[in-house]
Amino acid sequence: MMDELDLLKKDWQKKEVNLPRLSYDEIYNMIWKKSSSVVRWIFYISIIEFLLPHLLYLLPSFRDEMNYDFARQLGINNWIIALTIVQYVVAIYFIFQFYKRYREISVLDDAKKLMKQIFRTRQTVKHYVIFCLGMVLLIFGVFIIGMALDENLAATLNLTTENVDPVQLKWILIGVMTLAGILFTAVLAGIYFLLYGLLTRKLYRNYKELKRMEA
Amino acid sequence: MNKELEHQFVTELESNQNIVHKVCSLYANNREAHNDLFQEITIQLWKAYPKFRGDSKFSTWMYRVALNTAISLYRKSKKKPTTYDYDSVVYKISAEEYDPTEEQQLNLMYSAVRQLGDIDKALVFLYLEDKNYSEIADTLGISEVNARVKMNRIKTKLRTILNP
Repeated sequence: MMDELDLLKKDWQKKEVNLPRLSYDEIYNMIWKKSSSVVRWIFYISIIEFLLPHLLYLLPSFRDEMNYDFARQLGINNWIIALTIVQYVVAIYFIFQFYKRYREISVLDDAKKLMKQIFRTRQTVKHYVIFCLGMVLLIFGVFIIGMALDENLAATLNLTTENVDPVQLKWILIGVMTLAGILFTAVLAGIYFLLYGLLTRKLYRNYKELKRMEA
Repeated sequence: MNKELEHQFVTELESNQNIVHKVCSLYANNREAHNDLFQEITIQLWKAYPKFRGDSKFSTWMYRVALNTAISLYRKSKKKPTTYDYDSVVYKISAEEYDPTEEQQLNLMYSAVRQLGDIDKALVFLYLEDKNYSEIADTLGISEVNARVKMNRIKTKLRTILNP
């Protein structure tokens, strides 16, 4: 008995005549179109993720309020500067790694290797994002410690304390800062993982299937 | 020099375009998606063309790029088509060969193949294109034994669909 798939094979090869046909010019025009491949999207989104923490510093309010005046008043300015330098050095390292990996992606590899390469490229950005989120938490942490060590926080911040207990106010401010730090980090992490998950869902499914085959 | 490369590439692709169309006909569900995927594959082929050294045939090299694009790189457009309306266009059968039972069977088979996952589809596609298991294994990055095992499973799956 003939295999069902062989029946299909016979038919498949017969049907070649009915396929669409593009002209030379149609194909020529296509080679100049922009790719919308997942790798290109990963590239763009990664660049945005690399830039995002630095774009935040461009907002005047964020830069002035957060990092200079407030930090100077709290006496933790040097800490913030040191952390910022570390952040930039690490960011440059990650961008270099990312670019190297991105260049290594080749459509000529076998399917499994190609997918692995894409994931590895993405992994680099993932590590960077985790590092950035850690830094955000750390910076908030430094502020909180600075606030806690300040003997008279309300006076430092030029707040009027006529109706409230200064000690109580200090702890409220620290509480708000802690909450803001956690919330800010959580929102950033949420956006990141959602974006990344949606982008690579199909790829991940296929990769898992290929791996399962080898198991 | 560059103009020459362009011309060479487009000419080669024009005469081998059937391979790309066949990949598209399996992975895309409508005419628009077909054209979309064809374009993406063309872009990827052109990007990789400078690395094509001619130690394999142009057509052999195309299989890998086309499948890799369909499986790994291509992002389907958000509009989810509800019908496979264009089957009839691509796979129309000439009147003189028409055999109702065989035609019905084949149609069932085609729609069964379309329901397979991306990786299974790739295996079936290469099989239909008369590639041997070592080529199939090499294209997907799995072992030859596993390619055979997987292919047998797909055959069983398809057989069940055909003979319930």
